[in-house]
Amino acid sequence: MNKVITINLGGNAYQLEEGGFDLLRNCLETAAARLQNNPDRDEILSDIESAIGEKFRALLASHKTVVVAREVTDVIASMGPIEGGAEAGDRPEPGGPGPSRAASPENTATPKRLYRIYDGAMVSGVCNGLGAYLNIDPTLVRLAFVLLTIFWGMGVLVYVIMAFVVPEARSPQEKAAASGLPGTAQEFIRRAKEGYYEAIKNFQNPRAHRRWGRWFGPGMRASAYQWRYHWGSCGMPPAPHYEPWMGFALPFLSILSGAVMIAWLCALISLLATGKVLGLALPPNVPIWVAALLLCIAYGILTGSLKTARCLFWWPRGVMGRPPAPVVLAEAFIWLLVVGVLFLLASHFFPQLHTAVQAVPSILNQAKDDIHAWWNTK
Amino acid sequence: MNVNEKFSGMRKGLLEFLVLQIIAAEKVYVADILKQLSATQFATQEGTLYPLLSKMRREGLLDYEWKESEAGPPRKYYKLTVKGREQLRDTLQYWTEINDTVKRLGQS
Repeated sequence: MNKVITINLGGNAYQLEEGGFDLLRNCLETAAARLQNNPDRDEILSDIESAIGEKFRALLASHKTVVVAREVTDVIASMGPIEGGAEAGDRPEPGGPGPSRAASPENTATPKRLYRIYDGAMVSGVCNGLGAYLNIDPTLVRLAFVLLTIFWGMGVLVYVIMAFVVPEARSPQEKAAASGLPGTAQEFIRRAKEGYYEAIKNFQNPRAHRRWGRWFGPGMRASAYQWRYHWGSCGMPPAPHYEPWMGFALPFLSILSGAVMIAWLCALISLLATGKVLGLALPPNVPIWVAALLLCIAYGILTGSLKTARCLFWWPRGVMGRPPAPVVLAEAFIWLLVVGVLFLLASHFFPQLHTAVQAVPSILNQAKDDIHAWWNTK
Repeated sequence: MNVNEKFSGMRKGLLEFLVLQIIAAEKVYVADILKQLSATQFATQEGTLYPLLSKMRREGLLDYEWKESEAGPPRKYYKLTVKGREQLRDTLQYWTEINDTVKRLGQS
């Protein structure tokens, strides 16, 4: 059962499902925004309203008086993107966004910005926004965060920081800029398709619920563990009884783990950029993403043991592996800072890094397709 | 990049010419124009056509009149103005010249 809203299109009343009404209003608002500097704006908008009305009329009959949301989606899609921002000769607008009519949709793509997208978000839209920005499925981004949390415990921290730092996309223009697409009708449809309405539909479906539970349960448990691990030892007095050789071993272990990290990064970047691990070609039937995953696992195993050894030396016996929370947090922040600075420097001096980062979305998509195909063969 | 993508800019430029030609033949409304174009390489959608028609009307190339339809609200039927016909004639002329050039170059 859905609420119905009556609207006026070109002087005629139509009844729309509430979801469909929101879609249509979004579509028309976007069109109005895109035509802002067009001298024929009002005429074009009223023409488009009438055309949409006519298409709705064709869908209705005496026994069917309401246009459902899916039909609204189809009609908006059939209208195509609203072109015709102010033309170059008409009204020059200094630095304004209005793309010229002659340009193809690819060229009119608004510059991408990283936003949080709240429609269809699970928590605060960080993954959703990242997915839109990198042009990959937000579910994959969420999965990446969960994996990051399980293996390194960094995911939660990165997520919280991004939730505070990255702005939320509010206006239609910002939402369009979040995925770098022009604010077209189709963009709203895409968002509606994979976003909010889907989530609402699925919420009544216990199977989908369970599926989400399976999906996110491990992540939640992992973050709960991280939480206890970081904060649970607060106030516990450390047992500072060293043996001198441990103090000497500590810096070497740090240097070693740093070296392992640099080697891992180099291998990963060379793999993503050239398809070879530090000059060694992959066996022909191993896809790049499998190699990348193996590299990550190898790195996790290596650093895991190094980390344990460091913790062991740091807090010998008794409170093994439990430095107090401020130390862990400070370490994490410094680590993030160093990685960020290194990354900036590296992408400035090595164009390969840029290539590698750009290759990530397509490789993730490839992985998704491979897994999908494999799943279907079962 | 295939030919179809490569010449999307050219097709956009030519759309106005084709719309002039369609309207010159008979009074039409938007759905007619879309239908005639849909079978060709120039298939397009309302989102493109309405802004184009408004621009052409503002430039004085065409005009419209409201006509009652059998079912539903009245529709805008478009027709060419004198200026529109002149423009169509000039464009056709120009198009023929371009065609000749394309055929002639490299043939000698």
